[in-house]
Amino acid sequence: MNTAEIILSIVNIWIMIGGVIAFVFLLFGIDRIDEDARGAYVFRPLLIPGILLIWPMVLWRWLRLEMGTENWARRHKPPRKLHFWVAILFAISIPLIMLLGWSARQTWPESFEPQRISLLQQENVR
Amino acid sequence: MSKSDAPFFVGYLNIPKGLKGFLLKVSLLLFFGFTAGALLAGATQDDPGQAGFRFDFGRQTVEGVIQAKPYPLLHVTKGNERIEIGETLMLTGQGKSGAMASIAALEGTVIEATGILLNRGELRMLQLLGGNRGFKSLETDGPVPASESLGTWRLQGEICDGKCLAGAMQPGRGLAHKACANLCLIGDIPPVFVSSQPIDGEEYFLVGSVEGGSLSAAAYDYVGNFVEIEAALERQGDLMVLKLDPKRIKVIR
Amino acid sequence: MSVKYIPVQWNSNKWKYNAIMLASVFVYLLIFIELTPGIMDNEGRINTQVHNARAFGSCAFFMLSVILCIGPLARLDRRFLPLLYNRRHFGVMTAFVAITHAGYIVDWYFAFSKSNKYEALLFANTSFSQVSGFPFEVFGIFALLCLIILAATSHDFWLKFLSPPVWKSIHYLIYAAYIAVIAHVSLGILQDQQNHVFTLTFVAAGLCVAILHLLAALHERKHGDAAGDTSGDWIAVCNISEMNEGFANIVTLSGGERVAVFLHQGKLSAISNACAHQNGPLGEGKIIQCLVTCPWHGFQYDVTNGRSPAPFTEMVPTYRVKLVGDQVMIDPDANPPGTFVEPVPMPITEGA
Repeated sequence: MNTAEIILSIVNIWIMIGGVIAFVFLLFGIDRIDEDARGAYVFRPLLIPGILLIWPMVLWRWLRLEMGTENWARRHKPPRKLHFWVAILFAISIPLIMLLGWSARQTWPESFEPQRISLLQQENVR
Repeated sequence: MSKSDAPFFVGYLNIPKGLKGFLLKVSLLLFFGFTAGALLAGATQDDPGQAGFRFDFGRQTVEGVIQAKPYPLLHVTKGNERIEIGETLMLTGQGKSGAMASIAALEGTVIEATGILLNRGELRMLQLLGGNRGFKSLETDGPVPASESLGTWRLQGEICDGKCLAGAMQPGRGLAHKACANLCLIGDIPPVFVSSQPIDGEEYFLVGSVEGGSLSAAAYDYVGNFVEIEAALERQGDLMVLKLDPKRIKVIR
Repeated sequence: MSVKYIPVQWNSNKWKYNAIMLASVFVYLLIFIELTPGIMDNEGRINTQVHNARAFGSCAFFMLSVILCIGPLARLDRRFLPLLYNRRHFGVMTAFVAITHAGYIVDWYFAFSKSNKYEALLFANTSFSQVSGFPFEVFGIFALLCLIILAATSHDFWLKFLSPPVWKSIHYLIYAAYIAVIAHVSLGILQDQQNHVFTLTFVAAGLCVAILHLLAALHERKHGDAAGDTSGDWIAVCNISEMNEGFANIVTLSGGERVAVFLHQGKLSAISNACAHQNGPLGEGKIIQCLVTCPWHGFQYDVTNGRSPAPFTEMVPTYRVKLVGDQVMIDPDANPPGTFVEPVPMPITEGA
């Protein structure tokens, strides 16, 4: 199996596990942990892609909410401290990457004339 | 403007009067910005040049002698109005598959080949029809023209997959197309070197290995880049062929 | 009682928002795909698949650039806040446009071979050690994956389920996605392009995003919420003269939490600054019909107990307030969400 096949198999397995979790969560779990979801079914298919992608996180949050170990104070503490540095890093990276790309550009060697460096073939002819 | 006078937007309520004009301007800017963006980006794409499948010529059937290495070539012995006797045509299969697997066993024999021509200028390739319809063994041997050594050359240019270069894809060269070109080479499509300037009027050269086989995978890293190479040059029929050692490729600055 | 989830809570402003957004995207694709082939005066014809891939790819890039401008613009000028209101739909649409771009590419450049096209996408170019000729497709794959994750977790359910801070952290991926898109274009098409009109629009859009983020970050640093004096048990917020009826003053606690102290009908109340929905800045909102209204999506709370009016069930923590002289002070220990706190009347000042 080559690397590409391995990566694709992992993706397939990841999505299959996600599918099982989506099935169980949307049919049985969601009503237990979110009262707004009780009796609401039409929106549930919209959640499937998200569960397929980030199912480990779904399991983690589901467990926390089931066990009631959620810390309410945390819900009101947005990650704003980081924001300044994320913004600065982000803003600097954009022109830097553009410059990197630009500097790697090649120019077609229009004026280069082919040169015969030997009359002989340097390696054995077949 | 003090805090209390500023219009305050609430999504599910009507838009405040003071914001309507502003939002209209922003909407128009977005709309016309996208209009201008499409015109600017869409209408200024690079010209891929004249090349492609010659469906306008119709299906071509010719006879010739098969040379299997470095890539399947047909030395035409019985031509038609589009393909002359003595022309050496590169052969390819359908899609990203070369003709190698099906034709290797017929080396040195005469076949009747049927397919569609592709060309970019002097670069010509025949895409054989699919399955067994593309060629028929005529069960006679024929002469493969002797190769003529032209010495060792230093060249600058680009290694491309010959099929996309000949117009199977437009654009069919360059770095944005590199992965596709590699995939073609992996599928045994003949690689072609485009030289900065012609030698004896030829600017496209088929590329094989030093041993006379197909191009080594070590060269794939250089596909699509502008490179300088040193390689032995031969004339096989009316086709120029480079015998390239990947160690003697370097990317030019 | 609660408000049940539905796929989208439509209202007339969302319709208008989407109409403008879709019209812009539609006109972009229409002009690029249908009109520009006739305008170009080229010898050779660009393959339809490549042409369309470029149309959708560049469209997704410009959409993403606009989306990323909205946040900093709204921080620099509050009149842009309505653009934030339905930004998620803009993002979901971008994901669809980007998927279409990827579809054209995979079905063209990576099809027609004996290998599976998705495998081919991964193995065809493995020149990871070089800048020129780097398999720039991986940046595209990464960005697309981010966009799909963001689009797939955009429903309000995810906000409540993951909690707004976790949701927000995941949605920070948009920055990584944009950087990846910049790399995808810079190491891809820009390496070949000889006509630099697109290059210029690309650089202009990217720089616009970068500069707005710099400006907004610096603006926030300069004009952002004041840190409270943490020397005592209670935190000083401001002087009573700085309070405006119907509005709040915000203070940042040592742990990073922000508290909004509102003046409503002559009385002071303090609630968490972070809205229960998406942690929007409640203190930058205002009181409408006796309810604190979030400037982002209009979620509302009773300022005395931090509860949304029925049938809604959202709640935010409350804080105790007191006046020491003319200084507004709060107790930094938050009360659990929904706890009633008796509002503190402002002293009647002479001439007021």
